[in-house]
Amino acid sequence: MISEAQQEQAALYALDLLSAEETAAFEVELSVSAELRSLVRELRESGAALAHAVEPQTAPPALKQRVLQQIAAEAAPRAAAAPGNVIRPSAAAFGRWLPWAIAAGLMVACALLARERAQLQDRVAQQEQATDAARLRAAHAEEAAEVARAETERMAQESRQIIAAAQTTPVLVALSATKDGPAKAQAVVAWDAARQSGTIKINNLPSAGNGRDYQLWAVDAEHKDPISAGIVRVNADGTTVVEFKPTAPAKSVQAFAISVEREGGVPKREGPIVLLGTA
Amino acid sequence: MIEPSQQASDYALVKRVAAGDQEAFSSLYDRLANALFSLAYQLLGDAAEVEDTLQEVCLQIWRSAATYNAKRSSVFSWAVMITRARAIDRLRARGRRQRLAETAADEVEKSVGVSSRWADASHVSAIKDDAARVRSALQTLPGDHRRAIEMAFFSEMTHAEIAQHTGSPLGTVKARIRRGLLRLRDGLDDL
Repeated sequence: MISEAQQEQAALYALDLLSAEETAAFEVELSVSAELRSLVRELRESGAALAHAVEPQTAPPALKQRVLQQIAAEAAPRAAAAPGNVIRPSAAAFGRWLPWAIAAGLMVACALLARERAQLQDRVAQQEQATDAARLRAAHAEEAAEVARAETERMAQESRQIIAAAQTTPVLVALSATKDGPAKAQAVVAWDAARQSGTIKINNLPSAGNGRDYQLWAVDAEHKDPISAGIVRVNADGTTVVEFKPTAPAKSVQAFAISVEREGGVPKREGPIVLLGTA
Repeated sequence: MIEPSQQASDYALVKRVAAGDQEAFSSLYDRLANALFSLAYQLLGDAAEVEDTLQEVCLQIWRSAATYNAKRSSVFSWAVMITRARAIDRLRARGRRQRLAETAADEVEKSVGVSSRWADASHVSAIKDDAARVRSALQTLPGDHRRAIEMAFFSEMTHAEIAQHTGSPLGTVKARIRRGLLRLRDGLDDL
């Protein structure tokens, strides 16, 4: 079930209207929801269809020629860099001896031709066998390509996680409900360690109740107690997006947590933790 | 929106482009160029700059064809979003944000006017092509929803800037974009 808030994010995401941090947070949600991914694809298709609504123009024919020339120029170095096309430095020096080399080559070629013919016959037989093998491989190619695509996607996802874990910003932390929290509540923290600030996006978290507030905490390896990152108030539909800064430097954040505290918050956690996620 | 057979054909072309096939790129160019040129022209309004933009877009497609993911979007949508992003980058680089904000209302009116003319014409005859379908679907949207998604798509303004420019609360703008896009999707499905 996709909430209205998620639909809203999906629409903004489909039109590339979210900020970098919002995009990162939403992509975490996307990664765990096929339904949401499907909605984003539909909305992106609908958004892109707006391109049909503009007054039609015709691209100048000369533009295609320029583009194709540029493509060809880009393709040439690739082809030249292919192993079979590498020109060795000695080839240039050999140019001085070219006439002699041609003469010698012709003599040698005559002797070699007879042997070549026999070898070619063998190769034709081998090629026929290879063609049969290729047909078998082709039968499985589509399946293999799909597996490869899935593997590539998985590796890309892992790479992003590794890079994020290493140092790039923001680091994304998904928070889920503890036994004391509402089962459907979810949150994602985008944490920028260098700037010591972050953004938390929350879904399905009901109001903390009268005289109570939710409080965000950063659990840091260098601090004995969790560091307060401020009060978090949710909207009537259980969602919110809040930017935060911990009250003390958090250089080695291990987790983020949300607890229910007295209204206005407390300097040191007292209440139950309802959402928790490890970095 | 795009016919499945056309999507499959486009996908096959992109796979060949990813393998360095220049002939496939030429075919893909023929498929997309006019639509992308028209979109960039709508955004930039300057033919020379549009040509430069389309050249950049083509290079990006050539270089990044291997990263195209058919599960995320059709080839057409992928190319459209690249074009839109490039054109918006140029708008921002030109420092036209302020000027565009001042004239955005006129542009939107112009865009809606274009939509209206085409949609009216398409009522007379059967709706046969993609352009007529989109224009017709747009006409079914409430005016404020249509204006919201057109401003979001055809200008470089963020949703916060649209809210500021139109004097509407941010939540209202977001809701209009959401509802407008959902209704456009449904409208395109129905046609």
